[in-house]
Amino acid sequence: MSIELLANGLNDEVVIDLSAFSSLEEMKTQLDKSLAIVHKYGKETQVCIDIGLKRLTERQLRELENVVGENGLYLKELRNSESPANRDPSKETVISPHSQLVEGSETVMICRHLRSGQKFFTRGNIVILGDINPGAEIIAGGNILVMGALRGMAHAGAMGDEESVIAAFRLNPTQLRIANHITRAPDGDRFEVNNPELARIRAGKVVIERLKI
Amino acid sequence: MNSRVLVVTSGKGGVGKTTTSANLGTALAMMDKKVVLIDTDIGLRNLDVVMGLENRIVFDIVDVVHGNCKLKQALIRDKRFENMCLLPAAQTKEKTAVTPHQMKNLTNELRGEFDFIVVDCPAGIEQGFKNAIAGADSAIVVATPEVSSVRDADRIIGLLEAAGLADSRLIINRIRPKMVKKGDMMDITDIIDILSIELLGVVPEDECIVISTNRGEPAVLGNVSRAGEAYRRIARRILGEEVPLYSLDESSNLMTRFKRMLKLAR
Repeated sequence: MSIELLANGLNDEVVIDLSAFSSLEEMKTQLDKSLAIVHKYGKETQVCIDIGLKRLTERQLRELENVVGENGLYLKELRNSESPANRDPSKETVISPHSQLVEGSETVMICRHLRSGQKFFTRGNIVILGDINPGAEIIAGGNILVMGALRGMAHAGAMGDEESVIAAFRLNPTQLRIANHITRAPDGDRFEVNNPELARIRAGKVVIERLKI
Repeated sequence: MNSRVLVVTSGKGGVGKTTTSANLGTALAMMDKKVVLIDTDIGLRNLDVVMGLENRIVFDIVDVVHGNCKLKQALIRDKRFENMCLLPAAQTKEKTAVTPHQMKNLTNELRGEFDFIVVDCPAGIEQGFKNAIAGADSAIVVATPEVSSVRDADRIIGLLEAAGLADSRLIINRIRPKMVKKGDMMDITDIIDILSIELLGVVPEDECIVISTNRGEPAVLGNVSRAGEAYRRIARRILGEEVPLYSLDESSNLMTRFKRMLKLAR
């Protein structure tokens, strides 16, 4: 067991290495111990857990998350680290606590409508409980989730993250931007889609698909 | 190249500056002129919507004057005419983001590329107005046949003269021939009497304008719209042709239309 402190640019992050343990119970007790140290040691509120090559089920993840929560901390992400040399990008998975949508960085929640001329920017993710009207702009370093109608302009992954997604209950934007891709609806025929949709980059193109939860 | 910078202004809001800019620009483009439309209504942009180009905006006028992008990158080519472009306003900024001096440089830069630079002015007489008229050669004042609109137009003409734009011309918009006949609406001659500037054209009230604005297709593109026909005539007059004013009598009278159909009239 080790606790790594990674000075990673602006943010120091605490990574707890649990790769040496095989059973969940062992992992939980170790985690609890090391968290107590972390808690004493520093000002950190977020920790990452490294489980090596193992895989966790959603439920096991929740249990680990609970342990972290009981210690007054927040689980930032779960890592599957291998020795850096034989890293296979397809095998490397970063399972974040909640789902693919929430990843690491901070999430901001906005509980109102964004009207024409209003602009919102954050480095992290954005969740909006409201609509984005035409003429409004929403720009995020991470993902954008609109719990309402997206009719304006949304830019996800503004710092260049092509993995970012834009999801909305009614995805009807003037323009969509993900990383440095810009798209708009084709001219002419418009059709209304009345269910939640998700925009992401697939094979270098922004595609819109039905949001499956 | 002899390019002209025309500013479309009115003082009062809602009289049809943006509609006029869009239609005149399109009409001039239809006559194979190279046209650029500039929206100077920063914070309340509309011209892009009326032209149906809203979803193509990436950079805007503020980005250009602040050097965030090149002028060419911000110009949106019209989807119908190759020879027409739009320079959109920013929506999330304020009028003060641009200065009259910057506007002057901008219009001068555009002069090299285009025959006509149509500047859509915001309502009011503050910074936005000063920006819009900064680089202009001449002004087109839009007024509706209402006392309030004519009063504001008069004020605007005074300000334009003070700024050195002496040859303003007038477009009377949204006139209703029937009401004029009954004496319920100001007559063209009444308005000219007060404003005493050259009349460039008269545009009748037309429901087609609402439809075309909502669709993002200027009315001059279709043949059905009376207002569209009026704008086409105005464009020809701008080019120096001698075209009679759009006759109000023939426009809405069902009987004349019927007669024309039967080739009885004219």
